[in-house]
Amino acid sequence: MPTSRTLAIVIRTIEVFETSLVATLFTRELGKVGVLAKGARRPKSSMQGGLDLLGLSDIVLIPKASEALDLLTEAAPVERFAPLRRDLASLYAGYYVAELLNELTDLHDPHPKLFDAARITLRHLGEPELRSRRVLRFELACLRELGLMPALESCAHCGAPVEPRGGTIWFGLATGGILCEACRTGPPHVVAITSGELEAIRALASPGDAWRRLDPTSTGLARARETVGAVISHVLGHRPRLRPLLGVSTE
Amino acid sequence: MASAGYSAVVDRLMSALGRLPGIGARSSERLAHHLLKCPPEEAIELADAIRSARDRIRHCQVCFHLTETDEPLCSICRDPRRDPSTVCVVEQSRDLIAMEKAATFQGVYHVLLGRLAPLSGIGPEQLTIDALAARVQSGTIRELIMATNPNLEGDGTALLVANRLGDSGVKITRLARGLATGSTLEFANRDMLADAFSGRHPL
Ligand SMILES: [Zn+2]
Ligand SMILES: [Zn+2]
Repeated sequence: MPTSRTLAIVIRTIEVFETSLVATLFTRELGKVGVLAKGARRPKSSMQGGLDLLGLSDIVLIPKASEALDLLTEAAPVERFAPLRRDLASLYAGYYVAELLNELTDLHDPHPKLFDAARITLRHLGEPELRSRRVLRFELACLRELGLMPALESCAHCGAPVEPRGGTIWFGLATGGILCEACRTGPPHVVAITSGELEAIRALASPGDAWRRLDPTSTGLARARETVGAVISHVLGHRPRLRPLLGVSTE
Repeated sequence: MASAGYSAVVDRLMSALGRLPGIGARSSERLAHHLLKCPPEEAIELADAIRSARDRIRHCQVCFHLTETDEPLCSICRDPRRDPSTVCVVEQSRDLIAMEKAATFQGVYHVLLGRLAPLSGIGPEQLTIDALAARVQSGTIRELIMATNPNLEGDGTALLVANRLGDSGVKITRLARGLATGSTLEFANRDMLADAFSGRHPL
């Protein structure tokens, strides 16, 4: 039988039968997959440790017909993200990453760049002062990879340049990004954002290092968190479960 | 999900069985057939056992382990030989029973009745952490030994408890992990070795 081998992040597990496990994995090469790991909970199982939640493992699976679960035959742990075990804020942020991967992506729809972004994010959640910015960058990476990135440079509707008026810019949650004065009345769910907030979102969405230098106490950054969160909720059709737990202080 | 060709009574039995953990549609069908085929007293005995267990068993008022309804405290909490100053915190009664079988722990327990799993909607409110905090406040406890499972959710649950009770002055420890007694180093995996190094203790 043909097998597939790839790296995978474990994003959900359910215990089934005496010793087995059904897991949802976000794999680098195959996208999200649902797998059955027979006997994975037996004490001597070679998959023990390879299926811990939010761990990164090297896996081998036998793909099944579209509706059925793929059969997992190997899962060897490759990387564990230590910060998730050290403080609750990191753990909740890690669970949020898993929730977004699970809810935003479709089965068998590969996004290697998103996989890499998730890996980097999980690795660095331990830095308290950058944590929420890393989560924001990951949210934006999800939107970009799924073709839902809000327009940040010109009007999402007509492409015209957007001039802030009195420091305010119109931003469409549903239509995806900033809107010019002429287009703002048409689309539903339009909010006003400040130019400082737009600058913050631009920096967070860019590959460079500017996002690290954002003032963590600035209102622009705090509002960017709300606006990007609102876009995510809009795409999902509901507020993510972990969202209220982000920002829980544990220090 | 009405199953084709079964009467409503059989359907009800199958769907009740299908709600048990680890029982899918096929297993519930097989079990239902078995229960209808086996001697009637056998099936009735099962129903009786379930009913009397549910009627007569509840959670201990102190530690949330299972106890009979006429006893507010479980047999461990009632035992004067147990050390009430050391509390071993576990996710579920099954874990407590595994520890009791090993018979190496002389203290008492606290059963959380679950583990922190926010992705499944299980938060601190679903666990017995408030009751644990009240036990700690009462002043007899010197040490909490976190014996939640050594996986991410178990570690997270331990973090949550430590976070909540860290300022209470009680000592909070986590069960050691790493190498299994009787195993060999050669066959230990990377995580086991890493755990064993970080959990090493002076000889
Ligand atoms: Zn426009
Ligand atoms: Zn008790």
